[in-house]
Amino acid sequence: MSDSKAVKDLMIGIFEYPHVPYWFSINQAVRIVRASFLSAKKYPEPMAILVFDEKYNLMGTLTLKDILRGLEPRFLKPSAKAQVPEEDESGLAIIWDTLFNKESKELAERAVSEIMIPAKHFVEPNDPVTKAAYLMLRHDLVLLPVLENKKKFVGVIRMIEIFDEISNAIIKE
Amino acid sequence: MQLIDREDHQKLYIQLYEIIKKKIENNEWEVGSQIPTEQELCKMFNVSRATVRTAILELTRLGFLKRQQGKGTFICKKAISEGLTMLTSFRELMFEEGLTFSTNVLARTVIMPVDDLGIKLDIPQDKHIIYIKRLRLVDSEPVLLQETYIPYHICPLLLEEDIEHNSLFEVLEKKYGIKITKVKNYVEVTHLKKDDARLLGLPEDSAALLLTQHFYSGETPIMYTCSVKGSDRFKFLIDLERKAA
Repeated sequence: MSDSKAVKDLMIGIFEYPHVPYWFSINQAVRIVRASFLSAKKYPEPMAILVFDEKYNLMGTLTLKDILRGLEPRFLKPSAKAQVPEEDESGLAIIWDTLFNKESKELAERAVSEIMIPAKHFVEPNDPVTKAAYLMLRHDLVLLPVLENKKKFVGVIRMIEIFDEISNAIIKE
Repeated sequence: MQLIDREDHQKLYIQLYEIIKKKIENNEWEVGSQIPTEQELCKMFNVSRATVRTAILELTRLGFLKRQQGKGTFICKKAISEGLTMLTSFRELMFEEGLTFSTNVLARTVIMPVDDLGIKLDIPQDKHIIYIKRLRLVDSEPVLLQETYIPYHICPLLLEEDIEHNSLFEVLEKKYGIKITKVKNYVEVTHLKKDDARLLGLPEDSAALLLTQHFYSGETPIMYTCSVKGSDRFKFLIDLERKAA
């Protein structure tokens, strides 16, 4: 990997991803995912939605996993682990109606702000790619916002481009 | 020379319409001069005769061009926007002189075309829209709640404009040269939702007037606005003037 590679060399534009304001419902987010990705046959990695406030500041991100987690009925969510043995999930046979049931439809009316992952970590366009890689690994992220002068949201850098860059350096003769 | 973009979602005749309109507005094609023949336009823009005809028909219908039997098609003196008076900005829309107007921008952000917004703005479901919500006040009294939707690609820089002190309509027309040539207005009675009622200082479920407006530049939808007015102190005024013959 070239030492001089900066975040701006790998970042992609924010309009590659759908935008929603924080007050949109999960139901609306689901429809947007379907229209923007599935129907349009676009499968970016990760499939994510960017969540903004009313002044167009980035608040967080929403991946498919976050949406499904938001729709999961409460009774299926793991309870806090006290002194109980590890669950044996091998025999867990859940039928579809039980997994995502009527309660899920009600849960889908909640605002996306309730289930988004808040954007806490950022990089600047001139930061080295290694900084983005470090933050992603350290905080288990697949997408990192790029802010200009710590304010203006100008792009995102994704795990896939970072992986490509690092893996190129490793396999290079 | 601007060419047709076949990757663009817009229909070819609309793109051609816009290109020719721009040439007229920029005086590249001067008033009174003859435009190229259909065949020449087909060659210039690599489009079919049907596309050229539809674009020319639309420009003729809107007063940009005039057809003369056996002679050809000529640029007209007046474009439609000069002939039709459209009072569409907040001040022009509603009120008498001597009142103090102000605007609170409650939201200006970017959304996706949910519900039927994509159809209303004629954009694909994966294209972004600028969403603006404004509370309009007269003499400090909230009177109008306005939600505006503009396809992001029409005017990306709108996100940075001062729309609290400037008319959105004027910004689009004067600063970005987006001429609004047609507005479709629909007025209906509605009932205020909880949040809207709170903003307008009225009880929830109060009767209100809803004005929905579809703004076009040529045949291209460029803006969709919903205005809710709860107070009975002020009226909507939509003043249309027939174009001089």
